[in-house]
Amino acid sequence: MDLQLSDKHVKFRDELRAWLKANMGRPWREELRDPKATEDSLMELRRGWQRKLYEGGYLGMDWPAEWGGRGATEVEKSIFEAEMSKADAPPILNSLGIGLLGPALIHHGSEAQRRRFIPPMLSGDEIWCQGFSEPGAGSDLASLRTSAALDGDHFVLNGQKIWTTFGPWADWIFVLARTDSKDRYGGISFILCKLDTPGITVRRLRQITGESEFGEVFFEDARVPRENLVGQIGEGWRIAMTVLAFERGAMGLAAAERYGRDLGLLARTCKELGREGGAVREKLARLLVENEVLRANGLRMLANLADGKVPGPESSIEKIFWSEFDKRFRETALDILGPGGQLVRTSAEARPDVDWSREFLWSRAGTIYSGSSEVQRNIISKRVLNLPQEGR
Amino acid sequence: MKFDLSEDQALLQSSTRDFLGSELPLEKTRNVMEHQPDGYEAAQWRSLADMGYIGLTLPATAGGQGLGTIELAIVLEEMGRVCAPGPFLDVVLAASLLAASGKEAGLLADVVQGKSLVTIARQDSPFNGNHVQPARFENGRVRGTKYFVPFAARTDALLVTTPQGIVLVRAPYDLVPLETIDLGQRFAEVKLDNQGTLIGGPELLEKIDLLAAVGASAMMLGLMSRSLEITLGYVQTRQAFKRPIGAFQALQHRMADMLLKTESTRSAVYRAAWCLDTGDEDGALACATAKAYAGDASRYVCGEAIQMHGGIGFTWELDLHFYFKRAKTLEQFYGSTEAQLEKALAAAGY
Repeated sequence: MDLQLSDKHVKFRDELRAWLKANMGRPWREELRDPKATEDSLMELRRGWQRKLYEGGYLGMDWPAEWGGRGATEVEKSIFEAEMSKADAPPILNSLGIGLLGPALIHHGSEAQRRRFIPPMLSGDEIWCQGFSEPGAGSDLASLRTSAALDGDHFVLNGQKIWTTFGPWADWIFVLARTDSKDRYGGISFILCKLDTPGITVRRLRQITGESEFGEVFFEDARVPRENLVGQIGEGWRIAMTVLAFERGAMGLAAAERYGRDLGLLARTCKELGREGGAVREKLARLLVENEVLRANGLRMLANLADGKVPGPESSIEKIFWSEFDKRFRETALDILGPGGQLVRTSAEARPDVDWSREFLWSRAGTIYSGSSEVQRNIISKRVLNLPQEGR
Repeated sequence: MKFDLSEDQALLQSSTRDFLGSELPLEKTRNVMEHQPDGYEAAQWRSLADMGYIGLTLPATAGGQGLGTIELAIVLEEMGRVCAPGPFLDVVLAASLLAASGKEAGLLADVVQGKSLVTIARQDSPFNGNHVQPARFENGRVRGTKYFVPFAARTDALLVTTPQGIVLVRAPYDLVPLETIDLGQRFAEVKLDNQGTLIGGPELLEKIDLLAAVGASAMMLGLMSRSLEITLGYVQTRQAFKRPIGAFQALQHRMADMLLKTESTRSAVYRAAWCLDTGDEDGALACATAKAYAGDASRYVCGEAIQMHGGIGFTWELDLHFYFKRAKTLEQFYGSTEAQLEKALAAAGY
């Protein structure tokens, strides 16, 4: 057992820290609470930041060298995420493109597709959204019904995608569509669609925060060139599952950095406000302890990655832990802060350090997206505990 | 970087599991708990000492094996798995305190060899009172009462904590047995008006407290992981509505949570042990985290194990209550959850 970063990884981390110091502007929380900030201006800021990261060699680090790769592993990627969290760097704009589609194209795409799509994905000139969920297919994704019928050298798409993160801003969408209605898994294909294609409509959905980060996408006889198929017809499910595996990594570590920073600010606020009674102190302490357990889980995941282990179902444990803790943390923060914690960032008297009300609302999303807590518990029951699956 | 145990550590784990499997199977433990008022068998204690477990982390000069906190955690996790009765952790802590003091080398050697039993008398009130007169050391004598002194009836000497420092007091002393729910951890109230020898200042306890927190957490980890295994076995065989009850999602999701808490405890415990072994600056926070989290998690996991067994889970006949009770004992001693939360706040500078 050894939880010390290797010299190579310490060097990587220190170089990244120095790079962040020289290249990062204001912390993201300050950008967010700038009264002049709009959804569009923040998006442009994120696009610019992404370009800087790309030029600095920090995007696609584990991809082949011709796409900007530098032979990085999951360990460097996890350290990168943790350091970005620690520095409170703006989130990458094209995270779904770089996180999911990039690996899909590298592993399953054609050479022509890689040349066409990867450079603008990395530079932020083309933003991607993910068309997986449908109104009738969420946790049970394989029951999706959006159809893609081959007509000459085009697919004709019909159907609807929903909860499409970045849908309202994106230029392109990667879609799982049904090419065979009889084959549940083998009848799904992976298709790339430009969102300004005739027959495709994007509608914003307003989220509980008031923002519209996600939307819905309608397909009505939308004709998409056949060359936009990734892999073969019927390979979509397999591609999607391998791609989703790239969402893993030591997420817990990055989460613990972020929560730890906010928790420190909450503790400072409590001191300022004279909120130092036993009840408040116990709440703070319990949050601190849980966050340190999250950090320990993250370190364990990182050490396993460094040891050459591929994360399996234990990433479900990490996902449940951070997302459920996020809810408890934000709820407790509002308990402690009182009604002042509910103030929206643009309001008079809102705390300048953390946008507590937004975090409180956002924490409700983490236990739903990327496999809800219930789906994660099913995964643990089946793949780790080997419990019988009948009898739902 | 590597989370898995090294080859030597894995060997220690498997040999300890084999040893405890033959020396302390649950039938024997049940017999000790039901019939042995000392809370352990002298013969078992001797074999533990012969195997070198008592001196595991002590330097070779003290007759120990010079191993680290990770190795101690491995052994204690195994002891938790079999819900081992007896004063192992208490004696390891007392021996570490003696070793840290650099005094009483003869007594320490006897403790390591299993010939003498010494534990630490720490608690100044049966409850966590803030206005309690602690035992005092003046003019060569300790006066006052210590509560919940581990295995006091069988000790040859006690290390008594006082505001003046740590005082070695040799038996005999007046004691009143205290009966708690855990029959494998015996306690007594010790009324002291005895001669004693100061062996060191109160600051010696700082490191011992960290070791106590990790050690107790490791034992709780063992309790949890074995309780979960027993439960997983049961839900696969017990039938209701013509299927194994483990097929019901209402139980599956809670068992997933049991696993989550058990494995998260594992991460926290071994991280804390690693911090102590490497002198990492996060040691104090990591130890408080492990103990505070393991206390809650083990009560949850061992409690859910009882619930999932239904009526049989509430019987004396099934072993699960021993695990549940030990979890409660370990949660409240070796630095209670409340104390660990305070330590965590202090370590983080909140």
